[in-house]
Amino acid sequence: MVNVGDILSGRLARDVLDFLTKGACIAKKDAKVYYFKPQIFGFGILIPAFVYLAFSLGREIPPGLLVPGLVSMVSLFGASSVEAISIAMEKQTETYELLQTAPVSTAGIVFGKSLAGSAFGIVLSLCTALGAVLLSQSQMVSPIMFVIGIVLGSFAFSALGILVAAAARDMPTANISLTALRLPMIFIGGVFIPVGTLAPGLRLISYLTPLTYMVDALREGMAGPSVALAVDLTVLAAWFVILEALAVVVLNRRTQL
Amino acid sequence: MENAIEVTNLTKHYGSITAVDGVTFRVARGEFYGLLGPNGAGKTTTIRMLTGLTKPSSGTAKVAGRDCIRETLSVKQRIGVVSEVSNLYNEMSAWDNLMFIGELYGVDRSDRVERAKQLLEAFQLYQRRNDHLARYSKGMKRRVRIAAALLHRPEVLFLDEPTSGLDVQSSRLIRSLVREFNREGVTVFLTTHYIEEADQLCDRVAIVKDGKIVAEGSPEKLKSSLRDEAIVEVAFDRDTPNFESHLRADPSVKEVSRQGEKYQVRAIDCGIAIQEIVRFVMSNRLQILSINTKQPSLEDVFLKHTGLDAVQVEKMELLRTSRAGGQRG
Repeated sequence: MVNVGDILSGRLARDVLDFLTKGACIAKKDAKVYYFKPQIFGFGILIPAFVYLAFSLGREIPPGLLVPGLVSMVSLFGASSVEAISIAMEKQTETYELLQTAPVSTAGIVFGKSLAGSAFGIVLSLCTALGAVLLSQSQMVSPIMFVIGIVLGSFAFSALGILVAAAARDMPTANISLTALRLPMIFIGGVFIPVGTLAPGLRLISYLTPLTYMVDALREGMAGPSVALAVDLTVLAAWFVILEALAVVVLNRRTQL
Repeated sequence: MENAIEVTNLTKHYGSITAVDGVTFRVARGEFYGLLGPNGAGKTTTIRMLTGLTKPSSGTAKVAGRDCIRETLSVKQRIGVVSEVSNLYNEMSAWDNLMFIGELYGVDRSDRVERAKQLLEAFQLYQRRNDHLARYSKGMKRRVRIAAALLHRPEVLFLDEPTSGLDVQSSRLIRSLVREFNREGVTVFLTTHYIEEADQLCDRVAIVKDGKIVAEGSPEKLKSSLRDEAIVEVAFDRDTPNFESHLRADPSVKEVSRQGEKYQVRAIDCGIAIQEIVRFVMSNRLQILSINTKQPSLEDVFLKHTGLDAVQVEKMELLRTSRAGGQRG
């Protein structure tokens, strides 16, 4: 709970700075240790590439649908894979206990991990977006909004990866559970098929996944700022906060025996 | 003087099982305190509660003057924890691991560079500081782990089985350095299954059984509590199946047990026990291969309070060593 005394004494500012500094420290370490794991290449890059090729080869996909869908899918797989694998490995090798014994809260650990996962997703998505825009010669009316959409989406997906791995018993379970969540999201989230053309029941479910809002945000970003874009970005930010909070609760339950 | 650790009625339940049952103890600042007990006695659960890894079901615990439940982060800032597994990052070098830990504990860059150099030199690892931990032996990894726990100059160092499954050289180096850091003022809380290690290092030990402290004091004080007992060890030239039952019939003999080829006789009076042994040897035309008397050891105190016998203790040590060996170094 935040109180006025803490704000006036500068303690709150120190606590926030401490939280951010330690989060950044954990993120740097995660980048060093996990970015180059073969599992990241497999689950974060190869799978989305194959899925996309399987569904797009031989089909005429307009650039307005191709770029947001492809970039969102890359962000989903990239950002969620890094931290799902990192959390599962940290639990398996007991290095998670090393973090737990350090003066950093579970929220701080989860924040640091989501920084590392989202940074991976952001870089991968930006590279994909650049390539896709250049190849398809698409128009980008509001690149800043497009990038904000990538950032918020990657943060939400990174938190999703952490939550799933926190709940899973081991790494295979984490990877299978995450894949089982991500694949249906692709089909109902507007990556290949516009959400508007889905059956009403599926459309309703699609509004319950963060991917739908990221695809929509990127599409709106390409077209220009709008009310719908603001709603999409707000929902993505809310998804990040909710998933992050759930990850903290689940990690505490699973590890503080 | 304020205590480094103050524990009052600390209890932990897991469902219907009580892992720690109302333990109360104090550890003075600068003291070397050991917790001894068989597997499942509650040692690790106690350490986990004191280091903020597990919430107690009831009771209070203060470490370095801070409440373990309400001021967890503050406690963590003031302690160093070395778990049984050397849980550092194999993908990073020893140096990078120490830099990461230092940053996580908020140690200034210049200070952590200087401190890491000093610690790696003390633990004889400075020359290999840039090697990834994956290339280190188990003993080397444990040394880095202890160095990492000391980097931020903790007030209290928690060591859970620090030398379990290590080679003699690494074990000796670790013991001597930990003792050195203790002399410099760091309070040390140790759990070990090596009773001799606790005897050599600890100022005081507590013996736990079924989640309760059953004995506490300095090793010498605990040993002196058995001074009314004499121990005679004897080996014969051939198997003597009725020796144990014969000696047990004597009211001055408390216990007879066999350890390999030797018999160990615990008696109230050493002289009477030896007389009885000699009488048995004469009547059975045996030859004594060796006979000696010994003072009660900390292991004898441990056996008395835990109700285990020497063979069970040996098995317990072997089991723990093989478990530790099977884990990631």
